[in-house]
Amino acid sequence: MAYEEKKEMLLKELEKKSKNKTKFYFNDLAKILGEKPRMAKKIVNELVDEGKLVFWSSGSTTMYSLPGIGKQAAAEGEAKSEE
Amino acid sequence: MAFISSGYNPEKPMENRITDIGNRHYGEFLPPIIKKNFGKWIWHEILEPGVLMHKAESGDVVYTVRVGEPRLMTVQYLREALDIADKYCDGYLRFTTRNNIEFMVDSKEKLEALKKDLKERKFPGGSYKFPIGGTGAGLTNIVHTQGWIHCHTPATDASGTVKVVMDELFEDFQKMRFPAKLRISMACCLNMCGAVHCSDIAILGYHRKPPMIDDEYIDKLCEIPLAVAACPVGAVKPKKKKIISERTGEEIEVKSVEVNQERCMFCGNCYTMCPSMPLADHEGDGIVIMAGGKVSNRITAPKFSKVVVAYIPNEPPRWPTLAKTIRKIVDAYVKGAKKYERLGMWAERIGWEKFFEVCDLDFSHHLIDDFRDPAYYTWRQTTNFKFIENFPYEYNKMKGDIILKAK
Amino acid sequence: MPKHETPLLDQLISGPWPSFVDDLKTYAEYRRKNPNNVEYQIPEDVVDDLLGVLELSYVDKETHWKHGGIVGVFGYGGGVIGRYCDQPEKFPGVAHFHTMRINQPNGKYYSTEFLRGICDLWEFRGSGILNMHGSTGDMVFLGTRTEQLEEVFFELTHKFNQDLGGSGSNLRTPSCCLGMSRCEWACYNTQEAAYQLTHEYQDELHRPAFPYKFKFKFDGCPNCCVASIARADLSVIGTWRDEIQIDQEAVQAYINGEIPPNGNAHADGDWGPFDIQKEVIDLCPTGCMRMEDGKLVIDNKNCVRCMHCINVMPRALRPGNDRGASILVGAKAPILDGAQMSSLLVPFMKMEEPFDELKELIENIWDWWMEEGRNRERLGELIKRKGFRELLKVTGLKAIPQHVKEPRHNPYIYWYEEEVPGGWQRDIKEFRKRHLR
Repeated sequence: MAYEEKKEMLLKELEKKSKNKTKFYFNDLAKILGEKPRMAKKIVNELVDEGKLVFWSSGSTTMYSLPGIGKQAAAEGEAKSEE
Repeated sequence: MAFISSGYNPEKPMENRITDIGNRHYGEFLPPIIKKNFGKWIWHEILEPGVLMHKAESGDVVYTVRVGEPRLMTVQYLREALDIADKYCDGYLRFTTRNNIEFMVDSKEKLEALKKDLKERKFPGGSYKFPIGGTGAGLTNIVHTQGWIHCHTPATDASGTVKVVMDELFEDFQKMRFPAKLRISMACCLNMCGAVHCSDIAILGYHRKPPMIDDEYIDKLCEIPLAVAACPVGAVKPKKKKIISERTGEEIEVKSVEVNQERCMFCGNCYTMCPSMPLADHEGDGIVIMAGGKVSNRITAPKFSKVVVAYIPNEPPRWPTLAKTIRKIVDAYVKGAKKYERLGMWAERIGWEKFFEVCDLDFSHHLIDDFRDPAYYTWRQTTNFKFIENFPYEYNKMKGDIILKAK
Repeated sequence: MPKHETPLLDQLISGPWPSFVDDLKTYAEYRRKNPNNVEYQIPEDVVDDLLGVLELSYVDKETHWKHGGIVGVFGYGGGVIGRYCDQPEKFPGVAHFHTMRINQPNGKYYSTEFLRGICDLWEFRGSGILNMHGSTGDMVFLGTRTEQLEEVFFELTHKFNQDLGGSGSNLRTPSCCLGMSRCEWACYNTQEAAYQLTHEYQDELHRPAFPYKFKFKFDGCPNCCVASIARADLSVIGTWRDEIQIDQEAVQAYINGEIPPNGNAHADGDWGPFDIQKEVIDLCPTGCMRMEDGKLVIDNKNCVRCMHCINVMPRALRPGNDRGASILVGAKAPILDGAQMSSLLVPFMKMEEPFDELKELIENIWDWWMEEGRNRERLGELIKRKGFRELLKVTGLKAIPQHVKEPRHNPYIYWYEEEVPGGWQRDIKEFRKRHLR
C-alpha cells in the first residue's frame, strides 16, 4: 500500500472505531497500520501536523483521536462548533 | 482585558512556528566564577548551616548561600529572589533539585552582606522568605507535588502538609545535628508524581474508598471503554443498569460501569479518564507515612521506603497528628542512630520491630505486605527477632480481631 | 479586600517556614492593584479565586479539580496538562487552570535577566504562579486559560528561545545534578550530557509514541543527588575505574583534627573528635582500607566506589582519573507492580561528547520497548516480564557477574534451542531404537 493510502486507511479505520471509543494508544495505531513503530510514528505525526489527528493526554499517558470528537472533548468545550 | 496577540495566527498554526528547540544551554547562565572554574573544583566545606564554600584549583573560592523556598511561588516572590541575585551575585542564581535557591558570591564581604539581607526578609505574617539552611547532616527542603492546589486525584494537600512539617522541624533546617542527612518527600497520591519511594521519610496521600459512579451521566460525559481500560487492576467492567432518573424521576436503563471494590487500589486512574467516577472523600482520604529509603549508594545500597504508619486523617489546616508523628520518628532516629547512619540503616541495624518500639508507633495488618510477589520477601524467615514490650508476642496474648472497626 | 474569606488557610501564615499562603495573598492584592498596568490576558482575580477554591478544599477535605485531556499546543503531544475547576461559577478566575512545563536549563542555573522575562510573560498571560521546579525538573507554570496556551508557546519560542518540557507517553525532560559546574566529585559533565540528549531527542520529547513515559537522569557520582537510580528509566551515574586519589598530608590533617570531617556537615552534633578507624575504615562496605605506617592504604581492586570515605575526607580523597559512568535501567515509582530501582546494565562507559555509545544503547532499548512494550508499561516492567536476558539480547551485550547481586535461586534455566547440541527437534524412531516402548 502506498504511503498516502496508508494515511487514508488509518483515518477510515479510526472513524469506524470511533463509534465506541474515540481515543487510541500509539500501539493501536501501529497495529492498524501494520507498521513497525518508527514508520508508524512518521505517518501518525504527519497526520497530526495536517490537523487530521490530535493528541489527548491523561498527564502520564498520551492517546490520539480524530479532532473535535468524543464525549470529553465536548465536556471540555474543545469540540468543533456544529455549523 | 483586551486580547493581545503574541503574533500567533490561529488560522495558520504552522506560520512562523518555531518548534523543537529544547532548553537553553546552561553555559549562558553560569556565574563568571563558576564558568571560569568549571570542572576544576577540588574540595568544599560547609562553613555554617546553609553556607557552602567551594575551592578551585585556581585558588578561587565561591561561597554559596542555600535558602528554602516554598516551591509553589508567585512571580512576585521570584522577582524578589532576582533582586537579591542582582544586588549580590552579578545577576545569577540557581535552584537545587530539592526546591532550594542558591545564591553564589566570590568574597566573604559579599557573603556577610547577603546573609544579613536574606535573614531580614519576611512575609507580612512573619514567616521567613528565604530561610538559610538545608545543608549537611540536617533537614533539607521537602520535595512535593501539587495537592489540592492543582491536582485532580490528591488524597491530601501538598503545600499545606509541607508547611506544617517544615514549621515543626524548622530548627533542624538551620542546624546540622543529625547523624546523617534527612530527606523528607511528599506525594499527594499513590501515583507519586514526586517519586517518594526512596526517602528517609515520605508523606503520601492515600484514598481508602473506591470510586463512586455517576450512573445517569457517565455515558454522556465519558467513554466507558476508556474508563475500563484505565484501571490497572482490571476492577472496572461495563454494566447496563436500571436507575431512577434524577431529572425525570422515571426508571431508565443506562450504560454504566461496575467496580470490583475489593480489588480497587484507590489510584484514581479511572477518574483521570472519566470525571463521573470521583473517589475523593473527606473521611476516607488521609496520609500514609513511609520511612527508611535512600538513593545514595554510600556505605549501603539505595533502599526503598517502608510503610510505617498506615493512616493519618486529614486535619487541615495544620495536620497536628502528621506533624507530631514525624517529630516522634525524627527524635527517635536522632537519639538512636550512629554517626553517618541514614534512617533506614539505623532501622535495619536495630531491627524494624525495635523501630516501632522506639518510635512509639502502632502496628497492624496494614503494614504487612500482601501485594503480589515481593510481599513474601518482607516476611520474617528466621528465628532471629527481638522481644519488644509494646506488642503482644505470646500466643494466647496475641488472640484478637485484626480488623480495626471504623468509628 | 480579599475576594474570599480564607480563615483556614490563614492559619498557614504563621510559623517560620516560608508561607505560600502569605505569598499568594500578597500577590493577589498586587494583581488587584496592578501598579504597572499590565494588560492581564486571564482574569485578574485568578489568584483570589485560587485561594478561594483551596480554602474550599480545606473545608471539604476534597479536591476541586478535574483533569482535562487537551494538550493545547499544535503538533506537540506533551508539555501542557489540562485542568478545570469543578466549581467554575464560584471561582470563574480558575475555571480553566492549565499547567505548562518549561524545559529548565541543565543544572538549574539562571540569569536574572532570563527569569525576569519569564516572570513578565507568565504574569501577563497566566496566573503568575509557578513551581521552581516540578518533580521531573521543569519549571512549571500553574494556571492559564486554553486560548493563552499557543500565545505563551509563541512568545517562549520567539522571544526566549525556549521550548516546553515533556509530559505523557514521551521522553520526559532530562535532568541532572549540577555536576562539574560546582562539584569536585562529578565524574563527567552531567549538564552537557543532559543538554545534548535533550536536543538529540526533541522529537521523542514532544511527540509521544512510546508505550508510557521514559526518563533519563544524570548523576555525576554514586551519591545520586538527582535520585536517578530511583526515578529514571535510564540512570547514568558517574564512576571511575582506577584508584582513588589520596593526599596523605591531608589525611593526617583530618586525623589531627585540623580539618573537620565530612565537609563540616556534622558541626552541630556532639560526636567527639574524628576517629578515622571508626568513621572511615570500619564503615567501608568492603573493608578495603587500612592504616599502614601512619598512611592510609586503599585496596582499590576491592573498592565498590560507594563514596563514603571521599564524602568524609573531601580534601584528602578524590575519585580516580579514569572516569565515566555506570548505566542502570528500569526505575519507576510503585504503580503498578511495586516500585523498582534501576538495575545495572553497563558497569562502565566513557562519557565523552558526542555521547555516541550512550545514544546507541538508548536507541536499541527504545526499539525493543516500542515494539514489545504494552500500553502503559514502563521499561522496568518490560524487563521483568520478558527477562533480563532479553534486554541483553536486544542491546547486544554479554552477561557478566556484575549484573546480579547473586545468581538465580532456581534452576529453571530457559535455554535457547541453538545453545543445545542437536537442537530440540529429535527423531522418536531413533530414540525407540535405543529404548523399547
